[in-house]
Amino acid sequence: MKFREGKYTVEKFALDYHLTRQSAINLLSKLKKQGYVIVSGGGKQKRIYNVYKLKKRVTNGFYDIVNKYSPKKLNPRFEHYVNGSYNVENAIIDGIKIGDIRTLDAVMYLFNHVKNWKKLFDLAKKNNLTNNLIKLYKKSRASIKCRKIPKRYMK
Amino acid sequence: MINTQDQESLLKLIADYLEEDITCVAIGGTAMMFHGYKNTTKDIDLVFKNKNDRNVFIKAIEKLGYSQKSISIVYKKDKLKLENKPLIYSRGEERFDLFVKDVFGFEVEFEEIIQRHDFIGKKELIIFTIQKEYLILLKSVTSREKDYEDIETIVKIDKNIDWNFIVDEAINKKKSNPWILIDLEKNMQRLKKITFIKKEFFDRIYKAEELTK
Repeated sequence: MKFREGKYTVEKFALDYHLTRQSAINLLSKLKKQGYVIVSGGGKQKRIYNVYKLKKRVTNGFYDIVNKYSPKKLNPRFEHYVNGSYNVENAIIDGIKIGDIRTLDAVMYLFNHVKNWKKLFDLAKKNNLTNNLIKLYKKSRASIKCRKIPKRYMK
Repeated sequence: MINTQDQESLLKLIADYLEEDITCVAIGGTAMMFHGYKNTTKDIDLVFKNKNDRNVFIKAIEKLGYSQKSISIVYKKDKLKLENKPLIYSRGEERFDLFVKDVFGFEVEFEEIIQRHDFIGKKELIIFTIQKEYLILLKSVTSREKDYEDIETIVKIDKNIDWNFIVDEAINKKKSNPWILIDLEKNMQRLKKITFIKKEFFDRIYKAEELTK
């Protein structure tokens, strides 16, 4: 890729590479299709184009779920890509596995978005993490406004 | 040959045939594809934590029609003498090279990952990818011509290679892999034609080699 890595607006990209605005839009769109550009913003917000040297896929894993639902945001330790069904329940278990305080603090807020408690406890059982899960849930209940868990799971 | 999309579809399919959840590390061409350095690879190289995980994976790919092939077609004779050899499975043009714990004496770290790819089917297949510096080291260890080409590809695309880290790791792994410094130095000499590598890194390799004598 002959373009420099970094963040661009359409105007900045056009200026840097001596293009008209329309040519810049066309080129950025082409690069986006090829995987070299990720766009943020749009609508009322100004679009910012992140240009990469290597093809970049949009992550869709643990950190995306946590940063979507939790007010405490996390800086990703790794890029997480998922092929298949991965949701809040999986993210809570992965959070417990990662286990550091910042991660657990952020994961606590995910209990408000659990849709399938059975799946959550099945996953915890599979990973031998049931006690840790209950401990985290109790901590979550004590410190933030958190949805009540069906009683049968707390036995 | 297998491209990025086909590779992902294949791994997703394998996840449906697994009998247990397993975790492994992608090295070689597969890791390069995950990183975005290239679009196709001849073989899918995976390193498993233990033999049990590898057996689970093998059972799944055997159900999909893959069969074991001789390792001598792919690797040089000196690699075949080593204790922990890979198992090779292929079906048509697609091939799996399956290692356990280490790659010809080079132990693969499961902790130092930078990407995680989950393939969730009937069971979970979790594939980690390691940083580019480890990829360069591992490619040096296998010492095949196509592996050198891959190192060249990485170095051409990515100018921010931490040679200090590579040399450090090679010196640390020297005990378990006596040829690592020689292989690395050979590749670094060839790479000098396309990139700048400081003399001090070569000096450190020579010094470490002398200490072993």
